[in-house]
Amino acid sequence: MELNDANLQTLTEFLRKTLDPDPAVRRPAEKFLESVEGNQNYPLLLLTLLEKSQDNVIRVCAAVTFKNYIKRNWRIVEDEPNKISDPDRTAIKANIVNLMLSSPEQIQKQLSDAISIIGREDFPQKWPDLLTEMVTRFRSGDFHIINGVLRTAHSLFKRYRHEFKSNELWTEIKLVLDTFALPLTELFKATIELCQTHAADVNALKVLFSSLTLISKLFYSLNFQDLPEFFEDNMETWMTNFHGLLTLDNKLLQTDDEEEAGLIELLKSQICDNAALYAQKYDEEFQPYLPRFVTAIWNLLVSTGQEVKYDLLVSNAIQFLASVCERPHYKHLFEDQNTLTSICEKVIVPNMEFRSADEEAFEDNSEEYIRRDLEGSDIDTRRRAACDLVRGLCKFFEGPVTAIFSGYVNSMLSEYAKNPGENWKHKDAAIYLVTSLASKAQTQKHGITQANELVNLTEFFVNHILPDLKSPNVNEFPVLKADAIKYVMIFRSQLPKEQLLEAVPLLLTHLQAESTVEHTYAAHALERLFTMRGPNNTTLITPAEMAPFTEQLLNNLFKALALPGSAENEYIMKAIMRSFSLLQEAIVPYVPTLIGQLTHKLLLVSKNPSKPHFNHYLFESLCLSVRITCKSNPTTVTSFEEALFPVITEILQNDVQEFLPYVFQVMSLLLEIHDNSIPSTYMALFPHLLQPVLWERTGNIPPLVRLLQAYLEKGGAAIATAAADKIPGLLGVFQKLIASKANDHQGFYLLNSIIEHMPPESIIQYRKQIFILLFQRLQSSKTTKFIKSFLVFVNLYCVKYGAIALQEVFDCIQPKMFGMVLEKIVIPEVQKVSGAVEKKICAVGITKILTECPAMMDTEYTKLWIPLLQALIGLFELPEDDSIPDDEHFIDIEDTPGYQTAFSQLAFAGKKEHDPIGDAVGNPKILLAQSLHKLSTACPGRVPSMLSTSLNAEALQFLQGYLQAATVQLV
Amino acid sequence: MPTKNVTEERLSKFKNKGKDPTKLRDKRITECVELRKAHKDENFLKRRHITLSSLPDEEALSPDYLSNDLVKFLSIEEIIKLVNSDSRESQTRGCQAARKLLSQERNPPLKEIIDAGLLSRFVSFLSMDDEPTLQFEAAWALTNIASGTSWHTQQVVEHGAVPAFISLLASPMLHISEQAVWALGNIAGDGSAYRDVLIECNVIPALLARICPDTPVGYLRNLTWTLSNLCRNKNPFPPLSAVLQMLPSLIQLLHLSDKDILSDACWAISYLTDGDNDRIDVVVKTGIVPRLVELMSHAELGVLTPALRSIGNIVSGSDLQTQTVIDAGVLNALPKLMRYPKASVQKEAVWALSNIAAGPCKQIQQLITCGLLPPLVDRLKNGDFKTQREAVWAVTNFTSGGTVEQVVHLVQCGALEAIINLLQVKDAKVLLVLLDAINNIFMAAEKLGETDKLSLLVEELGGLDRIEMLQSHDNETVYQAAHKLIEKYFGDGELDGVKVEASDDAFVFQSPDVTRTFSF
Repeated sequence: MELNDANLQTLTEFLRKTLDPDPAVRRPAEKFLESVEGNQNYPLLLLTLLEKSQDNVIRVCAAVTFKNYIKRNWRIVEDEPNKISDPDRTAIKANIVNLMLSSPEQIQKQLSDAISIIGREDFPQKWPDLLTEMVTRFRSGDFHIINGVLRTAHSLFKRYRHEFKSNELWTEIKLVLDTFALPLTELFKATIELCQTHAADVNALKVLFSSLTLISKLFYSLNFQDLPEFFEDNMETWMTNFHGLLTLDNKLLQTDDEEEAGLIELLKSQICDNAALYAQKYDEEFQPYLPRFVTAIWNLLVSTGQEVKYDLLVSNAIQFLASVCERPHYKHLFEDQNTLTSICEKVIVPNMEFRSADEEAFEDNSEEYIRRDLEGSDIDTRRRAACDLVRGLCKFFEGPVTAIFSGYVNSMLSEYAKNPGENWKHKDAAIYLVTSLASKAQTQKHGITQANELVNLTEFFVNHILPDLKSPNVNEFPVLKADAIKYVMIFRSQLPKEQLLEAVPLLLTHLQAESTVEHTYAAHALERLFTMRGPNNTTLITPAEMAPFTEQLLNNLFKALALPGSAENEYIMKAIMRSFSLLQEAIVPYVPTLIGQLTHKLLLVSKNPSKPHFNHYLFESLCLSVRITCKSNPTTVTSFEEALFPVITEILQNDVQEFLPYVFQVMSLLLEIHDNSIPSTYMALFPHLLQPVLWERTGNIPPLVRLLQAYLEKGGAAIATAAADKIPGLLGVFQKLIASKANDHQGFYLLNSIIEHMPPESIIQYRKQIFILLFQRLQSSKTTKFIKSFLVFVNLYCVKYGAIALQEVFDCIQPKMFGMVLEKIVIPEVQKVSGAVEKKICAVGITKILTECPAMMDTEYTKLWIPLLQALIGLFELPEDDSIPDDEHFIDIEDTPGYQTAFSQLAFAGKKEHDPIGDAVGNPKILLAQSLHKLSTACPGRVPSMLSTSLNAEALQFLQGYLQAATVQLV
Repeated sequence: MPTKNVTEERLSKFKNKGKDPTKLRDKRITECVELRKAHKDENFLKRRHITLSSLPDEEALSPDYLSNDLVKFLSIEEIIKLVNSDSRESQTRGCQAARKLLSQERNPPLKEIIDAGLLSRFVSFLSMDDEPTLQFEAAWALTNIASGTSWHTQQVVEHGAVPAFISLLASPMLHISEQAVWALGNIAGDGSAYRDVLIECNVIPALLARICPDTPVGYLRNLTWTLSNLCRNKNPFPPLSAVLQMLPSLIQLLHLSDKDILSDACWAISYLTDGDNDRIDVVVKTGIVPRLVELMSHAELGVLTPALRSIGNIVSGSDLQTQTVIDAGVLNALPKLMRYPKASVQKEAVWALSNIAAGPCKQIQQLITCGLLPPLVDRLKNGDFKTQREAVWAVTNFTSGGTVEQVVHLVQCGALEAIINLLQVKDAKVLLVLLDAINNIFMAAEKLGETDKLSLLVEELGGLDRIEMLQSHDNETVYQAAHKLIEKYFGDGELDGVKVEASDDAFVFQSPDVTRTFSF
């Protein structure tokens, strides 16, 4: 591509087309540009256009295109072609700084970004003169140019703030410091002087203050990794001026905007960060300056207003004080009673006040409000900063601070009492203050776990919280009501049980409040109270204690779902689930009504699943209603099926991916309740469950395997007769699963169920293929998980079909195969099998091999007999570990991730552990003893002689113990 | 992006941790590029103004005295004329005037004197044993030049001053010999290259020959300093044979009581131990470790600093070497140093501790038994940043090598709270190391089946909030580490989710036709 007018013209036209709203015009133009960007001179054409085009739109467009081009192509990736020719690279670097500086701001920003992208790759080695070029501009005296340089420098240097220390990085920083630090310092001083000269010129001041902010940001980046020698030597200059700027106030720069931070605020905020950086990392050197900064920042806080635009500044400033006041050697700066009082009165209390912005969020943006207030996403807020400062001060001054605040709390409460309608915000602040003062440690699970002993929480509850909860009009002062509910919730572990019981019925009434925040908090508080544990590991609040309120609780919770804004309120749904779980049988009379409401809800949300947590708790609630009801009366399962199947069918038909794993679990739960038969409705679905597309989604695999297992358990015979043509498809699923290292255990679950429940004649024709596939996998990838599952399966097969059948199928695949598997897999690996049931299966299977397989006694396999017995005794004598507690209520389902269609396991759809051997074998050790006895009587003398010649003494001792316990003797 | 796990990188430098026997230690970081001012407590490489102890009375010329000297300041031109003259007396006056110019505090005209071509004259004067004053003045002038930059030193060496100075060591005039000691110290301090040139020229026997019971203390001070410079610098280290030659005398010097001698002798040891385990071994074998541990409690900062540095170097060696130091009682000396008023001493002490914590559980147990955990946790909470950083490493080493019981003990001492408080530190690497420590503690909790309890504890201490915040850290590795912790211990156990042909509605079950022989 030549650098000529014709090409410039063409480029201009295509650039213009990329701005066209019509994709039919826009897309081809974009494609064209991409197709020519590999040509030499392309970037230079863009630069020419952005500099010289008559059309401003084209100039900006060229600048944006240029930046994106650089972003995509500048980096040279190893083993890939260099996408920009070297002459172009050189030309770009030679001109871009100049161009950037002489361009209007819109273009300047794009070019500045491009420079930092190039700089990230080329600076400093391949762009040695960049820094000097920038530094020379400092002397231009033109602050538009200077700010351009500063902005570029900022984007080049800001990575020093987060990158790991390395020689390479520090060499670069050193180079930057050598050329940049002194001119930057000179510029800093000169700019401050100019601010004084132009103190009355608002336009000049604006430019100068943005320079100062940029300079302060550069200071932060350059000082981040370590304290550079230059800045240590020039600390006086920098800190004195920073301090001066912190205390400076120029009326001209004050903005009227309430929301957007002004230049002064941005600058001061950055200076707070700089001071905090030095205080944290370079304490020794910064010590002489620190007290001055503490005073200045504190004065700044006292004089800064409540407007939102000051939020960042205020929270930065408070965080600075909070981090300093807990250091032992600065304790003295805060110790004085007057200082403490003043900080409490002028810094903390004002920043805890409920502001109009908070009020707006409370009313109009309840989700955001709840997230901030309840879930702690309030990191940058003033309230949070003030709260952190309270905690910091409490480290050394808990007594005095508590005393000071008690006074404030009382006076705020009495203000409120005088005129609640007017002064309700005072009470809000009082409650917030008490909360932040009292809470020393907190978790989501238990609320506040450690409280300040100087605060009497119970008394405050009785005098100030309970009255609000009891007030008959739930819609009056909703903020205070929400505060009161939150108080109960977060101090639940600190309050005595009687008070909690007193609060419960009151909370129920608040479920009806119009305010979303208020009824959400009520639901959340109830949910949290219901999970509290009492003595004996039961729930603190018992179903009996809830009996009088059961109907009201269920009614109000479901009615709350109908309130505006709460149709998919996850807190309410979670409270429903928790209530079911707590109340158990007590809900049975209500289930017929409730199930209708739940399925209706399910139908609605399945149209467009958007609240994963809500949906998850909805399914949990459905499962709970099924389980609780069918526990006492399994026949009711059909009525649930009638209610649920229409929705389930719709979900399956519409392939609502988010819901499929849940639906499979619900179906498993229902099917498992059936007696040993399988309703035709399920059978009709069976072929669909084998569809490959379902198995491609990993989230479906565990629940689908479980569902197929349920099918096999309840209808193995039915499948063999009515759907024999589906058996290959079923085995195909098994084959699919064992091909994956992640899912092979699921494949074995399925295979085990097939072996256990299918009539032998229906699968006999496939058994050789099954084993060949397993051997194939064993050969190619022998993971521990696979081996463990394999061993369990082999032994289950042996238990089910007998040892002879096992040996024969192995040996017909390949001669001596049986011996090889015993020697290479079973004997060395069986110790790894974990789980009581799994171990039992292996024990019984191996016992059968030892005692019921003639080949083990008469062929060359005989040499494996003793090692196998030894391995079995080893398996017995390993310490038992596994038992799954039947602890349904407390299973933690806090933040169940439901954002992907990953498998979201339903706690309340849980499956009981299945033991295929069951009571047939009580104690496998006794079985071994008895079986050996039987074997020894069949061939007298052989067994004792093998034992006495080869079994090691320890194992022999164990074995004798088994024989004694079984009261048998070997002959 | 080469986002190699930096933690691993440093871990591999701690002894035992990297499992890579070639890089077993935490090398002192001074090898790296520095942004800070040179360490203020570091020894000087070159010295211009030192006090000669052995000047005869009539020539007692301390630098202070010099300013009132009778000798007038002469111009360079006048000096050139005098030095180049044939008169011994003029030459002496010239040298004296040159030496005086070169001794001035600000901008001594080193280059001018060199450019004037006077160096070869000065060097030639060194061998004039019959003109001791001239010899002395020339030596002094050359010493001052050698104390300049590397270039200046190079000029002195290239004019053949080294053999001349070494010969001068044997001068019967003590002050002349001492001047030579000083000059050679400056040349040795320039770097490994000239240090080895001196060693090649047999400077060591010549120096050591001057140590005898009646050598004045002042002379010994300068000599110790010169020896320390001969031990100094790496890449390469001084030849092992030279080290072996010097060590017995250094050990002897370490048993004297003069604080300056002790200081420089300790610095010498600290240079010798700042190397691989073989280098350390040479020092440990002399049996000097108990004396070094004793000197860590010396009243003078100038002595305890290099003593602590030496011990810190040795505990970064093998387990056996570390054990020697532990047996010498280092664990009783460290707590006091960890609370020493000067932050740099605290930092070095905790650094040493961090290397002991990288040892086997038996040594970790000794840390516990000797009560090192409370001061460690205290430094973690209240130390200055550099000390905190070392303390963080100590905790991470401790938690990755300690037994479950030892880790529990550390947590009971309050380490977890301190670690969590540090999670807002402004240093990506330290953050990563902290997250590693938390992960290690969780791994210990896992073995006890108490991860849930620990998760709650971390949350109570405000740790969950901070780790969550780190998920938005700009450093990718820090973000990843935080994310992993959250996912593993604060989520709620999300379940994980022979190729088979598939038709639309089912998989096709079939085993491969090819008969192959299985062998496991």
